[in-house]
Amino acid sequence: MAFEKIKPPVSLSIVILFGLIMLSLQLMSSSTQASSELSAMYSWLLLANVLGSVVLLGLVGANIYSLLRELKKRAAGSRLTTRMVSLFVVLSLVPAAIVFYFSMQFLHQGIDSWFNVEIDRAMEDALELSQASLEQRMRWNLKQTQQLAEKLQSAEENLPESVVALELETLRENVNASEITLFSRQGRIIVSSSSNPSDILPSLPDENVWLQVRKNGEFMSMSPVRDDSLMVRVMVTVKTDEEQYLQALFRVPVRITDLADSVEFAFARYQEMHFLRDSLKLSFSLVLSLVLLMSLLAAIWVAFISIRNIVAPVKELVKGTQAVASGQYDQQLPVIAQDDLGFLVESFNDMTHRLSLARDETRMAGLEVENQRAYLETILANLTAGVISFDAQYRVRTANQAAYRIFHIPVSHIIGQTFLEIAEGYSELVEPLKAVQRFLEQTDDIWQHRLAFLGPNGRQELLCRGTPLFSQEGVRVGAVVVFDDVTDLIQAQKNAAWGEVARRLAHEIKNPLTPIQLSAERLRHKLTAKLDAGDVDILQRSTQTIVQQVEAMKEMVDDFSEYAKPSKKQAVDINLPQLIQEVLALYALQSGTRFKLSHEDAQLTVNGDPVSIRQILHNLIKNALEAIDGKGLIEINLKRVQKNNADFIEIALYDDGPGIKEEQIEKIFEPYVTTKARGTGLGLAIVKKIIEEHGGAIWVDINRKLGAGFIIQLPAV
Amino acid sequence: MLVLASRRSCLQVIFLLLWLCPLIAYAVEVKHAEMALVGQAFVLSADLDYQLNGKAKAALQSGVPLYWDIKIKVEQQREYLWDKTIAEKTIRFRVQYNALLNVYRVRNENSGNSYSFSTLAAALNLMSTLRNYSIMAVDAIQPDKNYMAAIKIKLDRDALPLPLRPVAYTDSQWYLFSDWYVWPLKK
Repeated sequence: MAFEKIKPPVSLSIVILFGLIMLSLQLMSSSTQASSELSAMYSWLLLANVLGSVVLLGLVGANIYSLLRELKKRAAGSRLTTRMVSLFVVLSLVPAAIVFYFSMQFLHQGIDSWFNVEIDRAMEDALELSQASLEQRMRWNLKQTQQLAEKLQSAEENLPESVVALELETLRENVNASEITLFSRQGRIIVSSSSNPSDILPSLPDENVWLQVRKNGEFMSMSPVRDDSLMVRVMVTVKTDEEQYLQALFRVPVRITDLADSVEFAFARYQEMHFLRDSLKLSFSLVLSLVLLMSLLAAIWVAFISIRNIVAPVKELVKGTQAVASGQYDQQLPVIAQDDLGFLVESFNDMTHRLSLARDETRMAGLEVENQRAYLETILANLTAGVISFDAQYRVRTANQAAYRIFHIPVSHIIGQTFLEIAEGYSELVEPLKAVQRFLEQTDDIWQHRLAFLGPNGRQELLCRGTPLFSQEGVRVGAVVVFDDVTDLIQAQKNAAWGEVARRLAHEIKNPLTPIQLSAERLRHKLTAKLDAGDVDILQRSTQTIVQQVEAMKEMVDDFSEYAKPSKKQAVDINLPQLIQEVLALYALQSGTRFKLSHEDAQLTVNGDPVSIRQILHNLIKNALEAIDGKGLIEINLKRVQKNNADFIEIALYDDGPGIKEEQIEKIFEPYVTTKARGTGLGLAIVKKIIEEHGGAIWVDINRKLGAGFIIQLPAV
Repeated sequence: MLVLASRRSCLQVIFLLLWLCPLIAYAVEVKHAEMALVGQAFVLSADLDYQLNGKAKAALQSGVPLYWDIKIKVEQQREYLWDKTIAEKTIRFRVQYNALLNVYRVRNENSGNSYSFSTLAAALNLMSTLRNYSIMAVDAIQPDKNYMAAIKIKLDRDALPLPLRPVAYTDSQWYLFSDWYVWPLKK
């Protein structure tokens, strides 16, 4: 910004440049006037102007080069600049060329018109006339001198030398000569007379004069003397005994000298001009060409600058538009001038501003929607119920994590597949999934269905509710199904029902048993003495049967009450391996049975009632012993596992007996289910009840092919 | 690459100059020059030779005056510095043809003396023989230093009529000058 201020405005520099160009051209043209004092500087001015032209040419060339490069790069605004510059150049070049052509014509014709045959001849005639006139004068002077010589000759023959000198003076004055000198044959001055007494030494003839005089006997010439006057020098031979030479100098009258000078000057000037004719044309043409070239170049250069200034906002606009097209909406262009283009730039700025605002709003809205979606997804993901949505072709679109926990199938395996395709890999899910698929395809309303299957953790009961989805046009676009794992709920309901049954049995049945037993014993006691031996035997057996059966019923009722009452009475931390060792020690003496306990080194402690836990183990081991009929292997494995972010101790108990039949597996933990001849069928039910009251789970290990296997998981401490 | 290119162009320029050399045959030359001590001053005597070509003669015949500058220079030679100019003198002659009297007039612009000759050769002869031109006083030089004298003749093209000057500057026929004639100055 500071630079902008310091930099002189372009228009000012242009004015200065034009001033300089005009000045140098003016100086050059002035110097062509011969009288001008600038004449001496002509060469320098010419050179300066040529250099100026070269500099301007360089500037224009550089501009053209950069424009061509921009064109090649297809830079913004370059084509507009090219068109405007071309237009300007054509518009300025054509008239300039026409004016130049006609100026040259006029110039050449004008110079040629100075010279023509008449003037040529007139000039030469004038010169010849002057020469003839001067020559006539010289001949007259020669004649005078010759007469003088003759007089002197006769005088010399009669008079002594000193008188001759006086005579010479008189003679000189008679012929009006400015100086007369008599030379001896050897060139020595004999006597001299001058009109100017201060001239002590007479003017001496040069060798050329002597040569001619000795050869021809006479000599005459006219030569200019110092003060621009003309002097006629005449020399003749004086024919005395010893040859002498007389030299006379005549001054040409001033008027004649002036006239001769004038003719001479005019002729010389004309000759010079004639000689310089071509050079004159050349130099005028040169000046004219330089003027035109410099003005044109300067104009083109200025045109470049101005056009660039005009095109600059357009260029910015093009760049800005390209930026907007590529998605940069925050473009703000500088407003250079308050003209139409400036208005355009302002409008562009407005537009981009609004676009960027709109873009920001859209982005915010999108962000908001995205947040909402993420929030909903989080909620869905953390629901305990499994939520699965389907598209119109009943392929799974989305499924949450709970769906995975319920079906034990990774979510990534079910996305994009129908339930029928999913069921192919999981045989236990075939029936329930087929049922759901049927509902999906056939029901147009909200539906509800209960289904059960055997999962890896035992039998699972699911309650699923489905809702078909419709578009606004009423076209079915899919469905959403919610699965609730109600296994625990149903189990709890069952347990409560059984507990109630047991409590009532204990209460209703146990109370009459004691009077029945006592009455039977009383009957036997009173009647034994009164009856004969045969009857006594019958009585004995009958009462015995009654007492035994009542005992059995009592035992059964006790079992029920045991089942009905809560098992977790006193909770303490139990070291499971130690407890199992103690329990196994009681069975160690059983012949033919081997026990194998294996556990990892981790801490295997659970919190619970030791009596209840022992009972579980006793029940299970008893069952196993009965299954293997006292001969075989019972194996117990202990390990710590992690499930649903909680630690569990897993107790796996296996035997190598005949195993459990598949149809019994589903109901084996329900009361009154037994495979044995004796027993109440409450053993496993009690086990399951105790484990569930401790927060654990028990199921049959269906992967075990040899014998039976139970897996118990209890929360670890 | 750039160095090679510049070297090549340099060679080209040298070849061009060598080729042009015969063209620059000096039309004017100094045949002999010497400086002698006469009394208390050094005086110059020189024999010069002027060979006017067609263009110069034609210009002269048309009444264009030609100005000749005879430049004389005495320099003290110095070992570490540039040579020091002790004396510098220019003798300027003007030759002009007078059509009316059909004579060539030579004028010594320094003294103002002018001489007329009926032939060009005689006129040039006057300018060719320089005798007893006093250049400098004897005390201008020191006996223990070395001095060189130099003389050069040159046609003053800037004194030509203006329209002729652009031509004179571009036409080699108008390059009328001699090389510097240099000789050691004897004390």
